[in-house]
Amino acid sequence: MAQSKISEYAKIIRPQNFDEIMMLAERVKGKRVKMVNATAVGGGVAEILTRVVPLFNELGVKTKWDVIKGSGPFFGVTKTFHNALHGAPVEITPEMYKIFNEATEANLAEMTFDDDVVIIHDPQPAGLIAAREKSKAKWVWRCHIDTSHPQPDVWTFLKGFVGRYDASIFSTPWFARDLPIPQYFIYPAIDPLAEKNRELSAHEIDAVLRKYQLDRSRPLITQISRFDHLKDPVGVIEAYRLVKKTINCQLVLAGGGASDDPEGTQVLNRVQEAAAGDPDIHILLLPPFADLEINALQRASTVVLQKSLREGFGLTVTEALWKAKPVVASAVGGITLQVIHNFTGMLVHSIEGAAYQIRYLINNPQIAKKLGEYGREHVREKFLITRKLRNYLLLFIALDNPGKDVIQL
Amino acid sequence: MRAKVPFEFYTSSQLVEITGRRAIDLKEFVSVMKEIEESSIFYHIHHAFREHHFAPGEYSNDYAHWVGEELGENALAEKLTNINIKDFSDLGALRKKLVEIVEAHLQANPGNGEVQAKHKFYFCKNIGVVQSTKYIAWDLEEFCAGLKKVGLRSLFFHFFEARLRLGRKSNDFSDWIKDNFGDETLARRIEALDPYIYTMDQLRDKIIALIGGEKETLLAKVFKWLKVK
Repeated sequence: MAQSKISEYAKIIRPQNFDEIMMLAERVKGKRVKMVNATAVGGGVAEILTRVVPLFNELGVKTKWDVIKGSGPFFGVTKTFHNALHGAPVEITPEMYKIFNEATEANLAEMTFDDDVVIIHDPQPAGLIAAREKSKAKWVWRCHIDTSHPQPDVWTFLKGFVGRYDASIFSTPWFARDLPIPQYFIYPAIDPLAEKNRELSAHEIDAVLRKYQLDRSRPLITQISRFDHLKDPVGVIEAYRLVKKTINCQLVLAGGGASDDPEGTQVLNRVQEAAAGDPDIHILLLPPFADLEINALQRASTVVLQKSLREGFGLTVTEALWKAKPVVASAVGGITLQVIHNFTGMLVHSIEGAAYQIRYLINNPQIAKKLGEYGREHVREKFLITRKLRNYLLLFIALDNPGKDVIQL
Repeated sequence: MRAKVPFEFYTSSQLVEITGRRAIDLKEFVSVMKEIEESSIFYHIHHAFREHHFAPGEYSNDYAHWVGEELGENALAEKLTNINIKDFSDLGALRKKLVEIVEAHLQANPGNGEVQAKHKFYFCKNIGVVQSTKYIAWDLEEFCAGLKKVGLRSLFFHFFEARLRLGRKSNDFSDWIKDNFGDETLARRIEALDPYIYTMDQLRDKIIALIGGEKETLLAKVFKWLKVK
């Protein structure tokens, strides 16, 4: 899909908020920013950089995006580090640190940092801070992952790099760590003009429903997520069965492919077993880039469910709220920042709780509609890409004014 | 009537900083509250109001939300929600009141201080970036037109931030009306609005309606005077 122009967002957020973004951009116009991450395609970071970098340039912030190089073993190590930072009990060897440091040295030899601000995304390129002495830039480490319970060895290793930056950014306050540098928080965001979130015509939605043989005349409960036990897909089926006792509804469990993920395949098998014999349970294994399908399924849903057992931020919840859908979601992780109980959705703690709230919302469409409207406004203000742009612009200004609580421009 | 000095609309954007301070129970909460920077109090007392401007929520501030939802201390949450921030012209006095409310609750319920919350309270603070908008007003009509055009952040800045963070005694709108038009009644009526029970949009409408009403009253006086003549 073609990149959206900044002016198109003026129709989506309040015009005054759009004007304020333009005013802030005017103050940092001409600043040279470099974004660095580990991959050009695939993954949430690349997805958001793809959208954000052209918008910054359009705003007059000269933004480049570099991707570090690495061998297979290096990315094996960074994947292990990633899991360890999430708290997984993985074994870390001295050899791993050596591979990480060697890859960092190789990248340092090839990269230049003649910018005003360098933003390093996630742990893989964190070691590039070694170039700081030779650069005049302000250095920022942007952490996209949940580092609230990291394995101490890996965190200590990483902290040796992160502590030398000028500032860090985390996605929620509870992901932050004890660091000797300022830590800001900037929420993850969705792009309302991306294929996954743009407005769809009734015709487009109907075509997807026909494709998956869904009945538009009956209530539809949907959970979009990969087939992972932490998303509790079997719990979703149990909740649906409780609802089904009184409401003739359908369930869609839709997620990405699991063929290269042995654990994912096992979970998918268990889900298929749990769903056996009920034609109203639709398990959809979606191909990559099925953004239009996901968009249509969310928009066609009567209630969107996210019954995760653990969650980072939960952007699928953001997507559903943006579509003004009543959301029933577990009170875990970043979901609690998005779903304010009985205000922008319903928070639950059990299968029974999920079933009760689904029944309640299907039987009270006016209340469901109100929750959906408030949910959409909540996202419009806090979790759209425009808010992210604003926050980055503010960050650039704050970096030039260290230690000030009020900055008068 | 033309003002001696025009009203210049400013706006303020906020970058949120994580302070690293946190609390798992009310004892820790009170202890941090006594020391934390004032910009943290300002952030948490207004965060919900500022962000959920489309409708008033159950709790008016982050402290009440945490106490109610994470500790299940409903009575204390209600006391914290009901605090009238307009009674305070500086953050030090507001901090003192918040601490007093929690300490009084702990005195009455001594066992509750160490009951652990489901999730910790993470103290944040905000960095305010203030800049001028392109809107200025030389009279009340231009003022109402400007207020309709600027964002809610501008309304927030002049009505809340100016008073509590920049130490002004009243909101900027009332000060300007009083100083330039001598209309103390209108200034007082705007200052008397209870902003915390409205959404920001409703507050803006209320201010515009008060100014509109005042203008009508003035017109009525003129007509009455002409009639007598």
